[in-house]
Amino acid sequence: MRVEWAGEELELLAQRAVWWPRGATLMVADLHLGKAAAFRSAGVPVPAGTTAADLSRLGMLLEATGARVLVILGDLLHAPTGRAKETMEAVAAWRAGGGRAGVEMLLVRGNHDRSAGDPPRQWRMAAVDGPLEYGPFTLVHEPRPARKGEWLVAGHLHPAVALERADGRAGGMKAACFWARGGSAADGRGGFLILPAFGVFTGMKTVRPRVGDRVFAVGPERVVEVRGAA
Amino acid sequence: MGASFRATERGVLSGPDAVGAPGAWRAVEAWFAAQGWEAFEFQREAWRAYLRGESGLIHAPTGVGKTLAAWMGPVLEWLGERADDGLEPARGAQRERERAEPLRVVWVTPMRALASDTVLSLLEVVEGLGLPWTVEKRTGDTAGSLKKKQRVQLPTCLVTTPESLSLLLSYPECRERFATLRCIVADEWHELMGTKRGVQTELCLARLRAFAPGVRTWGVSATLGNLDEAAKVLLGPDGSPTMVRGMMPKDVEIRTLIPDEIERFPWAGHLGLRVLPQVLEVVEKGPHGQRAKGQMEEGKREENGEGGATLIFTNTRSQAEIWFKRILDERPDLLGQVAIHHGSLDRSLRAEVEGLLSDARLRCVVCTSSLDLGVDFSPVERVVQLGSPKGVARLLQRAGRSGHRPGAASRVYGAPTNALELVEFAAARDAARRGEIEGRRPLERALDVLVQHLVTVAAGGGFVEEELKREVRGTWAFRNLSDREWAWCMDFVHRGGESLRVYPQYARIRRVGRDEGTEARRHEEEEAWGEGPNRYEPGKADGSPGPLVKAAEGDGQSGEPVRWVVASDAIARVHRLGIGTITSEMVMQVKLVRGARTTGGTTLGTIEEGFISRLAVGDRFVFTGRVLELVKVRGMTVYARKARQMSGIVPRWDGGRFPLSTQMAAALRRKLDEARRGVYADPEMAGVRPVLELQRAWSVIPAPDELLVEVVTTQEGFHIFVFPLDGRSVHEGLGALAAYRLTRGRPLSVTASANDYGLELLSPEELPSDEASLRALLSPEGLVEDLLGSLNSTQMARRQFRDIARIAGLIIPAYPGTARPQRYVQASSDMFFDVFEQFDPGNMLLDQARREVLEAQLEVSRLRATMERLAGMRMTIKRLDRLTPLAFPLWAEQLRSVHASSEPWSEKIAKMVVRLEAEADEQAAGRGKPARGRGAKDGGRGRGSAGAAPAARRSTRAR
Repeated sequence: MRVEWAGEELELLAQRAVWWPRGATLMVADLHLGKAAAFRSAGVPVPAGTTAADLSRLGMLLEATGARVLVILGDLLHAPTGRAKETMEAVAAWRAGGGRAGVEMLLVRGNHDRSAGDPPRQWRMAAVDGPLEYGPFTLVHEPRPARKGEWLVAGHLHPAVALERADGRAGGMKAACFWARGGSAADGRGGFLILPAFGVFTGMKTVRPRVGDRVFAVGPERVVEVRGAA
Repeated sequence: MGASFRATERGVLSGPDAVGAPGAWRAVEAWFAAQGWEAFEFQREAWRAYLRGESGLIHAPTGVGKTLAAWMGPVLEWLGERADDGLEPARGAQRERERAEPLRVVWVTPMRALASDTVLSLLEVVEGLGLPWTVEKRTGDTAGSLKKKQRVQLPTCLVTTPESLSLLLSYPECRERFATLRCIVADEWHELMGTKRGVQTELCLARLRAFAPGVRTWGVSATLGNLDEAAKVLLGPDGSPTMVRGMMPKDVEIRTLIPDEIERFPWAGHLGLRVLPQVLEVVEKGPHGQRAKGQMEEGKREENGEGGATLIFTNTRSQAEIWFKRILDERPDLLGQVAIHHGSLDRSLRAEVEGLLSDARLRCVVCTSSLDLGVDFSPVERVVQLGSPKGVARLLQRAGRSGHRPGAASRVYGAPTNALELVEFAAARDAARRGEIEGRRPLERALDVLVQHLVTVAAGGGFVEEELKREVRGTWAFRNLSDREWAWCMDFVHRGGESLRVYPQYARIRRVGRDEGTEARRHEEEEAWGEGPNRYEPGKADGSPGPLVKAAEGDGQSGEPVRWVVASDAIARVHRLGIGTITSEMVMQVKLVRGARTTGGTTLGTIEEGFISRLAVGDRFVFTGRVLELVKVRGMTVYARKARQMSGIVPRWDGGRFPLSTQMAAALRRKLDEARRGVYADPEMAGVRPVLELQRAWSVIPAPDELLVEVVTTQEGFHIFVFPLDGRSVHEGLGALAAYRLTRGRPLSVTASANDYGLELLSPEELPSDEASLRALLSPEGLVEDLLGSLNSTQMARRQFRDIARIAGLIIPAYPGTARPQRYVQASSDMFFDVFEQFDPGNMLLDQARREVLEAQLEVSRLRATMERLAGMRMTIKRLDRLTPLAFPLWAEQLRSVHASSEPWSEKIAKMVVRLEAEADEQAAGRGKPARGRGAKDGGRGRGSAGAAPAARRSTRAR
């Protein structure tokens, strides 16, 4: 779904990513690679396939958009115990394959990255601490109050919204979402755009948007803006 | 062990009446005489059976004498052995712990709260007879120092819960520690059977029987509809139980508080505050400043059922909170004489209330099923059941909590919360008179419990696969366990299932013995992979075996068969934290802080995380009868202070709303049929007559062979009400099924709601409502396939999976009041459900979740029976322009309505809204702060209770 935010045209994708055409940049947040492996090493049997699924989806997105830059808004790796050989090799192979070798990849470190460690050299991903000025945007992992005129793009929250039926009957649902505040270019106060978590094994956190915010629910195939009720 | 068999054999040889040593019998009879009692015949019967070496079940509708019936057998046995040795039993105080008699009896009790009381009553006998026995409890709250002593030597009688017993079995030295066991008592077995804790108990008992062959098992149970089955479940399919029937019930008086003006009595709702004045009148029968009046006077009052304390049983904790508060609002003079008791309150608060109640210092306790069990509180003279009990056994159990003086009757007052509950109270009394008591269906093939048990046994000294398989199949729950299921469970704890074959990091159990070399190599293969600033060091905690494991490996090298042991000490430690199958939603500890302080404070109890996550700092809520204001949430602790304003929202705890039992449903249909024939013989039926007459005038009261359908169009849409009168669980299944069948193959949105009387289907569009269409909708053909196909069953399976995930050890436990351990391995059961569905669809735990939904929640066999019954009934379709007394509660309820829709996702979203917070009071959100709580779990919407009238409901909805 196309939206205008911070004076830029952005595409919010149901694959839980933001495509910024003018900057040829694809942005994702919270991959938590190796999370399943971290569970396994603690004796919790998470089935194989989550990492492969995440990588294949990300690969498809890069191909479909033709992105030149991939921005990861933190929590690329989940935990030190998640750096299992199989996982690390799978990512290294993915990085080198499918025409992705030429894509620039940039990690804005998140809280998990700080303990899980930076990506290994073979992955060729630059890791920096936020906030990072990136075109008109300020990239961070954890959202913080936006300064005047600042357009924060963040992750960390794994946002989801609780949807209620407009007719008041029971039968609500929960959906992962993009959550935006502010954003009309004339609005000098600044604002934020928070991305849903990209990884399949990451979970969600219900957020409470306030009046004036925009919420975009992520469905199986598309992103839909949700009506607000006070 | 030899001595016990001697006594036993002699008993068998010399006939049932002469079993055991005469001297031992004399000592026990003398003890009874010293108490001023005489042993009941059923108690002697139980002792004789025990001494003959039999196992069995002691059952009685009331609490009288069952404990001693189970306890004196082992006592007589010991006394008899002593007589054989020519020794007089030692008199005087208990000897030192170390020199006391080694373990003989394991006493399993369903509730921790019961353990202390049980220890006291068992000790009374021990001390009275001067036995050198120790009686100790081992539960979650046993002090560490005692636990340490118990690691050296167990007491003569160990009083414990299923969880603590399982925990004891997870230590390597358990086999020796239980070797001297003679007797297992499963107290309140009816409470455990039919639950996963019951299955856990079955597995633990099978283990104990393997440790101590010849051990006898005795269950103690309240009356159930399927006692023979209950005994089989306890002893295993090969057992031959001896049934001992206790005393017949005391008189039970069931009366109902009839509202004065039924016209103004609500048709729906569950709070019942309308009957508050009448309930207070019942409480008033207790002593109020009349102590001055003479003994005679007091005796007379007791004869009339006056004096003493009143227990007010509510069906939910929320209702208990509301009632406690309203009683004090109404009668501030009762402050200090009224208390509240429910499962979420801190244990010390509950114990305080129980103490005050025993000491006759309380007039009234508002409680939930938390007081269903336990020692008898003799000052309790009468019981109020607030709202329909929904089951005959439950009503009798609660009634039995009153009238404990000899010759006194049990008195229960039914307090209806809406008009139709008057019919239910009349039906309950009817069914009680006919002796129609509900049974409890035992659970089978609970693989989550088995998975947990495998790791427990692996940690508790390890096992040989074939031996354990045989032992597990010796339990009722797993008697039909297939080889495939067994192999899957083994694989799941060993390798994590098919999909993890290439991932060596995971293992909860591992092989030692012949091929341990391969295993060790696999562990070495784990290696670090990282070049970042925080290098990953291969963790000691993850792979390397600890000292306990090494000990077990030693056995393997001496040429014994291949054994399975726990993979590492770290795995064993985490596993022990998670042992137990009592599962509830993640709970947080509530602490009361004073003044401006925001730390420290007194612990009030626990509250569901889902509730707290819907609150913001400063929000008010009612807990322990106080209105509290949320100060902050830190980790698993909620800090709150007393609020200045006196209103707040009441948390809705999960559960507690029982569906009508089969027995009650049948009795209810009989009562409604009486009304149809114009017979209003019971006071309750006479009371509710105007409402039923209205039903008859506007529609019909259905005959036993008549299925009533009411079709109503309102501005909300098109409603079809169907009244099979068969209990909510059946109607929920019918509703889900009908909604699925309606929406299959065309874009349509249908909401199904259910209560104990019927179901409602609601759609914005007109639904087919001719007889043929309705019959097709309710046809039993394709029942299971359609139920599984419905979206609703997926949602239910997802909910069911919460327990399964925790029991099977997927959720690493976090306890209230502690920081979350291992924060990198926290995930919700929903996440596991999703990854299993997507990446490991053959996972048997998913199958189990679906099976539990079908069998336990939707009660598919009961559902099929209902549908077959409906197919043979005539159908009466009434097209009406208003809601009848039967339809209104269904419409107002909506509590558990399910939504089925075949519309595309984006169209569904278009009909939804997200609630936005006001900008003014949300500066915090401006900083992008999320709502508290780990929302990964469905919080569930807080729905206001339905109001009494349509107008009230609208305003509730508007909020």
